[in-house]
Amino acid sequence: MLLAQLAIAGLQTGMLYALTAAGFALIFGATRIFHVAHGATFVLAGYAFLESVGLGLHWTVATLVSLFVAIVFGLLLDVLVYRPIQRHDGSFFTVFVASFGVSIAAQNLLQFIFGGGFVSLSLPLTRASQVLPGLYIAPVLWVVLGVTVLVFGSITLFLERTNAGLGLRALAQNPELVRAYGLSSRKLSALAFGLGSALVVPGSILAAITTGLQPADSAHVMLISLAAAIVGGIGSLRGAALAGLLLGLVENLVVSVVDTQWSQAASFLVLFGFIIFRPSGLLGKASQS
Amino acid sequence: MINRRTLLAGVATCFAVPTLLRAETEPYVLGTLFPMTGLLAELGGVYTNAVALALDHITADGRLKRPIVLRTQDSQSTPQGGAVGMSKLVNVDRAICVLTGITGVIKAAEPIGTRAKVMMLNGGGVGPDLAGLSPYLWNVIPLANQELPTALGWMKAAGKKRVALIYLDDPLGNAMLKGLRELLPGIGGALVGEFSAAPSAQQFSAIVAKVRETNPDAVYVASYGTQQTQIFKQLRDNGITQQIITYSVGGTPSVATLPEADGLLFTSQAADWSKPDARTQRFVEGWRSKYKSDPTTYAQNYYNGALLFSEMIARLEPAGVPIDGERLRESIQNGEYELVGGKARFANNGVVGMPIQLNQVKNSKFQKVG
Repeated sequence: MLLAQLAIAGLQTGMLYALTAAGFALIFGATRIFHVAHGATFVLAGYAFLESVGLGLHWTVATLVSLFVAIVFGLLLDVLVYRPIQRHDGSFFTVFVASFGVSIAAQNLLQFIFGGGFVSLSLPLTRASQVLPGLYIAPVLWVVLGVTVLVFGSITLFLERTNAGLGLRALAQNPELVRAYGLSSRKLSALAFGLGSALVVPGSILAAITTGLQPADSAHVMLISLAAAIVGGIGSLRGAALAGLLLGLVENLVVSVVDTQWSQAASFLVLFGFIIFRPSGLLGKASQS
Repeated sequence: MINRRTLLAGVATCFAVPTLLRAETEPYVLGTLFPMTGLLAELGGVYTNAVALALDHITADGRLKRPIVLRTQDSQSTPQGGAVGMSKLVNVDRAICVLTGITGVIKAAEPIGTRAKVMMLNGGGVGPDLAGLSPYLWNVIPLANQELPTALGWMKAAGKKRVALIYLDDPLGNAMLKGLRELLPGIGGALVGEFSAAPSAQQFSAIVAKVRETNPDAVYVASYGTQQTQIFKQLRDNGITQQIITYSVGGTPSVATLPEADGLLFTSQAADWSKPDARTQRFVEGWRSKYKSDPTTYAQNYYNGALLFSEMIARLEPAGVPIDGERLRESIQNGEYELVGGKARFANNGVVGMPIQLNQVKNSKFQKVG
């Protein structure tokens, strides 16, 4: 029964990782901007949700507030940080450093306003009960499952069935051609940042109620996003989802054979394995979504 | 006529007098090396508030001939940050005493402080190997091995013989593992599971599943900061109903407010906020008035640390000797000091002797239970 319990835990962790990585994969895939501040967006969205609930707002309203904060933060970064740098032919490294700086500033601002402590929301939703002898499942597992299917289903439909989605995919593959066809790469970039930032909200809220949040979490979020993006195949949203799931399962199942402290190391071993033996990732360039 | 020797003496005096005068008027530099960012930033805030309150009181007392100035460095909760911060405090700020905390940070910063002969006062790190680490490191907090017997006393009385341990793989966690392995058989108990966690881990569902497999009577958690709070939450969320017990780090404010931590037991040094002595009451009332909450034992320790620094200076000043880390070390080694919580005397290995008590988190408050 231990293996079944670990698989269930791995599934939930993996889906949370997939939701965490989705926004980064979309933004990086479409704009090729190494958006390190994605971690800060995640934490900001989580704090916005928790604070709104703390103020007595209904969770649906709190989710909208969280969405608003995430999207505005993403768009502001695009307009005020990345675009001016790119206008002056800023290199990939310049953009990376700027994004990293914003991430640290956001972390310190959050700490200044809310303190450096752990924040969370305690709900019956996260309380596990025994469903079979030795097998405990919390209702939040089904919520995570439903949200993951909904988010990835919707975004795949959007990217494949709408003009804006096709534009985003085209921007990822050939920005020059996008401009030649009269599409605005600036508008498409803003769309990528808005949508990518909105995508962190489900993962952020679910992380806030399951593991809790603190301002310094942005680095951890980035690490997961980056690992999932690389293992899944740079730019592939479906790949990032599968990779998140794979990393979560490996992280949990591996403790049945090795010491518990090696669980995270095992998932990064998977990452190194992909970098060395399959650099294009699970769903590499040929099958990008 | 002025000869060459007189001229040289005059020039030397011109250079020496301002230096001597400056030495007489320069403030005493007290450094803090606290985790102000990173995973333990919450603790850094508590430590800083306690030092600020102590300095308010020291200034109001006006007992010292020269003022104390505070220089702060952020250890970023990491050993590397600790080493860099300590280096700045001793080489740039010329601190003669540094208040510090967190076992891993202290172990990284200590060689730099020892080399510069700077007194280091620890009020937060409880790793047993901090005892005797350096002649300049003094602990105003009892170390974890001093706390374990109280926890084991409770386990024995409550009949909790099967204990599972979740510990952080660092000097503190490993010391707790060693302590429980050695001491549990003495009460007829056994460590039925040892589960280490990496310092950056945030998901503990796999560890909890393995803890459940061992069917323990109690779960001892030896971690700190956000990670520790996450472990408490995930233990309860994943169906662990057994008693959770930990060491003094359980007295962190965010633990008190976590609903899943209700019922948690933790050991700490004796702290009775209703104690009628003037020093304790000044600290408790000062804290309540300044920070609108009850103090914690960490606040007590760092308040005591700053108080101890000023008390040592007050005793050295009448002798007219230069006050540096070496003099402070001699002073603490040979003296007994009146601090919040009672008289403190330090053993030669730098450890303070203080009674230990058992506390419980109940309705978002800490209360003494034994």
